[in-house]
Amino acid sequence: MKFLHLVWKSLMRSKRRTFLILCTLILSVFLITILQSLLATLDAVSNKPTEGNRFVVRHKSGLTQFLPISYGEYLRQQPEVLAVANSQWFGGYYQDPKNFFANFANDETTMFQVFSDRISGLTEAEIKEYQRDRKGCIVGQILADKYGWKVGDTIPLTGTIFPMSPQLTIRGIFKGRMASEENTLYFHYKLLEEGVQFMKGKTGAFWIKTKTSDDIPRVANRIDTHFANSPVETMSEAENAFYLTFVKMLGNIGAIIHGVTIAVLIAITIVTVGTMSMAIKERTTEIAVLRAMGFSRARVLFLLMAEGLLLVTLGGALGIGLASLVAKILREILGSALIFLQDFRLANETILLCMGMALIIGFISTIIPALAATRRSIVEGLRAL
Amino acid sequence: MVLFVGFILVLFATYLAWLIYAAIKFPLPFVYNLRSLWGRKSSTLTTASAISLVVAIFIVVLSLAQGISKAFVTSGLPNQALVMRPSSRFELNSSITRDQARIIKSNPLVAKDNMNPIASAEVIVIKLFNKSDGVGSNITVRGMEVTGRSMRPQVKLVSGRWFQPGLSEVTVPVKMQLRFPELVVGRSFKMGGRQWDIVGTYDAAGSSFDSEIWSDVNDVMQAFKRETYSTVLVRLRSEDDLGSFTLQMEEEKRLKLEAVPERSYFKELTKAGDPIRIIGNLITVILSIGAMFSAMNTMYASVASRTKEIGTLRALGYRRREILASFQWEAIALCVLGGLGGSLLSFLADGIQTGTTSFDTFSDISFAFTITPRLLAQGLFFSVGMGILGGLLPAWRASNIPLTEAMKA
Amino acid sequence: MSQPTAPIIHIQSLAKSYFRETLEIPVLQGLDLDIPAGGFYALMGPSGSGKTTLLNLIAGIDRPTGGLLEVCGSNLNQLNDDELASWRNENIGFIFQNYNLIPVLNAFENIELPLLLTSLTRAQRKEKVEEVLSLVNLMDRRENYPRQLSGGQEQRVAIARAIVGNPKVLVADEPTGALDAKNADEILEMMQRLNEEFGKTILIVTHDPKAANCARHQVHLEKGILDKTVEVNR
Repeated sequence: MKFLHLVWKSLMRSKRRTFLILCTLILSVFLITILQSLLATLDAVSNKPTEGNRFVVRHKSGLTQFLPISYGEYLRQQPEVLAVANSQWFGGYYQDPKNFFANFANDETTMFQVFSDRISGLTEAEIKEYQRDRKGCIVGQILADKYGWKVGDTIPLTGTIFPMSPQLTIRGIFKGRMASEENTLYFHYKLLEEGVQFMKGKTGAFWIKTKTSDDIPRVANRIDTHFANSPVETMSEAENAFYLTFVKMLGNIGAIIHGVTIAVLIAITIVTVGTMSMAIKERTTEIAVLRAMGFSRARVLFLLMAEGLLLVTLGGALGIGLASLVAKILREILGSALIFLQDFRLANETILLCMGMALIIGFISTIIPALAATRRSIVEGLRAL
Repeated sequence: MVLFVGFILVLFATYLAWLIYAAIKFPLPFVYNLRSLWGRKSSTLTTASAISLVVAIFIVVLSLAQGISKAFVTSGLPNQALVMRPSSRFELNSSITRDQARIIKSNPLVAKDNMNPIASAEVIVIKLFNKSDGVGSNITVRGMEVTGRSMRPQVKLVSGRWFQPGLSEVTVPVKMQLRFPELVVGRSFKMGGRQWDIVGTYDAAGSSFDSEIWSDVNDVMQAFKRETYSTVLVRLRSEDDLGSFTLQMEEEKRLKLEAVPERSYFKELTKAGDPIRIIGNLITVILSIGAMFSAMNTMYASVASRTKEIGTLRALGYRRREILASFQWEAIALCVLGGLGGSLLSFLADGIQTGTTSFDTFSDISFAFTITPRLLAQGLFFSVGMGILGGLLPAWRASNIPLTEAMKA
Repeated sequence: MSQPTAPIIHIQSLAKSYFRETLEIPVLQGLDLDIPAGGFYALMGPSGSGKTTLLNLIAGIDRPTGGLLEVCGSNLNQLNDDELASWRNENIGFIFQNYNLIPVLNAFENIELPLLLTSLTRAQRKEKVEEVLSLVNLMDRRENYPRQLSGGQEQRVAIARAIVGNPKVLVADEPTGALDAKNADEILEMMQRLNEEFGKTILIVTHDPKAANCARHQVHLEKGILDKTVEVNR
């Protein structure tokens, strides 16, 4: 500890240089943290903490095709199935197309069984009231806060996919586990069916809850086989697999992010090596003096390494700090472009990963010039001026 | 905002012009500084290579954003309009009856070719195909009338032949073949309960039609048991008729439809690239600032190591501004060196085909990274900008070292 | 002050060569020298005579190519690098021509540096540093950084740094080389005092006859061998 002062003073030898390299480090770590968090958030989409015993049945050719609601009959007959809720992404907006949030038409009764983990905080009375009112809806807490909605308010929802723009009355405000879950509105499936001619008797997907998660592969297989070779074939997949297809749709974002991360890491390592070499080279005589005084090679190496690591620790911590400061703003921006990114946050693992990368950069970029400096003989070092 | 950007650009240009003038008038310090870059090889090299990476990322991000925009912007002609169901926003969501289509085509504003209206009633369906990584992705299948092909002059047949009506044939984009291995001429696939033969490939010059499969409208409607078209694409006699045509579509009692200029329809679709574009811009902005700091550091070191030389030059009669210009040039040269390296690096990404999915239509959009001379020029311009901004403060410092101190050092 | 008897530095047929690629450049070739504890020796000779090399060898910052080298009771050839480092910390104080203070540390911190390697507590270190600071008359300059000090003051800080660990031997390479006459006198006086009052064994390399005359013995080197040792009459 008594050397910390010496290390700090050495780091502050050239304040401008340290400041500039620190800024470079902060920005790079900031960028990497944001990018990796982005990736982690997208990964989390297909890794949701669900109860695990839920799966989706949809049209084999994709989500823009519909299944007959009558298929639900067969689904409910399966012994492993507890509840079946038909569900359709409505894709409406409130007042302005920019006010973008998830809204679904769902079966108003079974959805509370199927999505019991996602929807909480509603009283029995509120649920009853919602189920009674065909034009009722329930909204998540975050959404309600954002637009200042209260229970009893009537809100217009303008359809984009479906030629219908219902006026909905808020019958309850629910809580979810994640921001994206609370950024959601649900209304009666029957309202969609009544309002849109071509949706009569059709649904985008069935969400199904089974007794245990082990049942899913068996039931899913049975369902798909049952409807195979019929005009409308089905595709059943576990919830996480279903979300994964959405993430995959984005294209190879993972490759882009990893590519950029690696490029940034290389660039920042090069820059830090350059700076640390400069910082250590100009101290050749000083290092020789320290060693003459009785500082061993190992001790000098330790001091130089401590200096480099202190620098990257500062840069890393400030970069990550900056990232967590803007995380909220980014969540807004990114969330409006892509609904999954409403859950954007800096996970602890990501923070550790980024800090680890910063430390590795510091280690590599200091050890190279530091080893060279301590290998030089004292006499040589004293002569260099 | 435009005014502000303009002002900054003028300022930049003026400064650059003065720098060039100074370099011509006093070539000595200029040459001197370039030699110093050569003399400090390792430091120059590290900074330049860091800048290379940033410029490469800049160019690649730019090409990505352009690839997406190009996919849509080049898709529409200015004198064509798309007739859709009101507020359907996307072709996929629209539906138009056969009667309505007939009425639209008979509208006097529609251009004619040998008495036949230049219009194509079309149907859009989505079909799931496997990508080369085994993951399924939706592709838009467009059923069109024969006129529809000539209404998209940028689309050219590459191999095989065009689909024939009534034969359940499709023609596929050549650019999709890499990512979707099923799409091979001579093979067939199942869709809507029928077998479809792939009879040819086309190239749509980077427009969004490079992300579609084309077939005959009646074949597709029959296969999917559809009674209605999705949209009708019409060519108007003149671009000026767009307004009145739109109005007529809306007001005609039997129609009540929305006509959208083809150009603006596709422009709206470029939003699909927004997530990638936002991330890309974020990356570039942050990285360029970081690279600038790094260039600044190198330049400060360069200034510090040459205090004595600066003093000598000053003593010889060079004025502060010449010193400023010479160091500014050194910074620019350093960054341009990085810029050139970055341009070379960016070629690694040239020609890579990739895709994303429109979250509005849930269908695949193909685009390519194409490194064009224009992009390279932008990359170089960007590196000059970094050189000017990153070098300004160190150059300023160099020009302001007191003569006495410079001589003493 | 009684004349010391037991040699604190014992050198026998000491040889040192430098190698430029395959070419051997002999600097010291078979040198014998005994220096008694409490001695004040000036190493003199023309450039290239090997006087600085000899000083470096005695101070343990360079390794001989041959011969015996015993300083402060240790055979330096038998110590490894780390042992040598702590040996230097305990036994040798360095004074350089260019002072070689650490520019980012103030006077106090510069002097404290060698003590950081010992097990002394913070309070003990402070006490020792202040002791030597007052010895070199720089108590009022303790917070100043090297660039805020004059050359003479810097060298006094360097001397304080050299003696703070209470080493037996002080080595100085041209300690007055960068100083004007007045400051040089001051430094030489201080070194004499350290020799006489505190019994430090001092070795200086110098060109300056005035500095050489402060020593009690002058050792003349010529082409890597001992030319003559002269006792100075003061």
